[in-house]
Amino acid sequence: MYRKQVRRRRAILALLVVGSFALLTVTYGQGSDGVQRGVSTIFSPLQSAADRTLKPARDLVNWFDETFDAKGRNGRLHTELEAARKQAVGAQAALAENAQLRKLLGLDESGAIPGGYTPVTGRVTGRSPTVWFSDLTIDVGSGDGVEVDDPVVNGDGLVGRVAAVTGGSARVTLIADHSSAVSAKIVPSGVQGVLKPSVGDPGDLILDFLDSERRVGKGQSVVTSGWRGQGIESDYPPNLPIGEVAEASLLEQEAQRQVHVRPFADLRQLDLVQVLTGGSRG
Amino acid sequence: MILTANILARLVAIVVGGVILQITFFSQIALFHVSPDVLPSLAVAFGLLGGTLTGAVCGFSLGFLLDCLLILPLGGGSLVLLATGYLAGLFRERFEIHSPLVPPLLCMGLTLFAQLGFGAVELMLGIDAPVSALVVRDMLLKSIFAFFLGWAIYVGLRRALRPALVERSAVRRNRRPTVLGA
Repeated sequence: MYRKQVRRRRAILALLVVGSFALLTVTYGQGSDGVQRGVSTIFSPLQSAADRTLKPARDLVNWFDETFDAKGRNGRLHTELEAARKQAVGAQAALAENAQLRKLLGLDESGAIPGGYTPVTGRVTGRSPTVWFSDLTIDVGSGDGVEVDDPVVNGDGLVGRVAAVTGGSARVTLIADHSSAVSAKIVPSGVQGVLKPSVGDPGDLILDFLDSERRVGKGQSVVTSGWRGQGIESDYPPNLPIGEVAEASLLEQEAQRQVHVRPFADLRQLDLVQVLTGGSRG
Repeated sequence: MILTANILARLVAIVVGGVILQITFFSQIALFHVSPDVLPSLAVAFGLLGGTLTGAVCGFSLGFLLDCLLILPLGGGSLVLLATGYLAGLFRERFEIHSPLVPPLLCMGLTLFAQLGFGAVELMLGIDAPVSALVVRDMLLKSIFAFFLGWAIYVGLRRALRPALVERSAVRRNRRPTVLGA
């Protein structure tokens, strides 16, 4: 009897391990399939409701984290946070959301979003828990006109691109994800290169140069280059703000032909984003 | 663990609730710039309370649901959390838990194991970017968070699944010899 139980238990364990490997082999690189779409559709309303319900609690916890962070930085932020502490957490959340929407509106009106693209605003409903993936889930999908490879921005600049879509949600791969590569240029110097992440540190991107003749200075802005030609083209439209050069030592520029870039968008704290749908692709 | 329809429903609710809570709350908060990961701790608690099979099945389910909801390649999360739950179950079957510190310490250790596992799966599938040393700091902080969250998860889960648990202390009490003819 006991031996039979042990055999059955081992068989189930073996089945689970083999099943995991089989799933990994079958689904890797294939994008979303029917199972994921089905599960996502079933749980999407529950996820969305939980996201909205837990927002005040999240803001409260994040508020503590930001407070500790700010205290360590300087006295000016400390004073501002003292004043902010007096506000209700709910009011703070509403203000923050309002500010994000205004920034998004400002980005629309400033002409940073190129013609032909229709921005669709979405709320972040989920985020990958591991340090290895820099993905997030948003509550707009193919039903809202979102397609795979659509660029995603927030009020500060480029955030990432859509990697997979279902009817009511989409997965966004951030520019800090290890699989991301963005063709970018530095303005005003015009130096072009490919922007890659440093895994585990979303505040640090590395711009590998293609042209090392011109010198790059700290603080210069980095935007998407949006090149096209020979039948291929960048996923991103030109001139979307990405970040600024944070570190540009002569040694790195000459020896490794790279500089460090700090993204304008805070990739750890994203609540509202805009997907640029349509455009000239396809 | 004694599985009835009621207990099965509770297990499913805990797995679904755990994954939803992880992606809508814990993944979106930051303490010292790191988000806690409660899913390995949940798998550990299942393993400690139900044994290897329960730990492995619940770990697999947690990983599968997580991959589905985040639209990630299926199987990676399942494999790592399955192993985490299985190892916790193996610990319970091999050793007796004498100290209340054992579950949180195990949550801490196995969360680190799970983080390394996620990294190993990712490296196995190909990673085309430099890896920052901050990854190590993030992993260690996640493990420390798991120590505190794991304790709460273990206590909560034990309470939720109490009717299904076979308490070793109760078994020992039942084995006390009865004096006949006194």
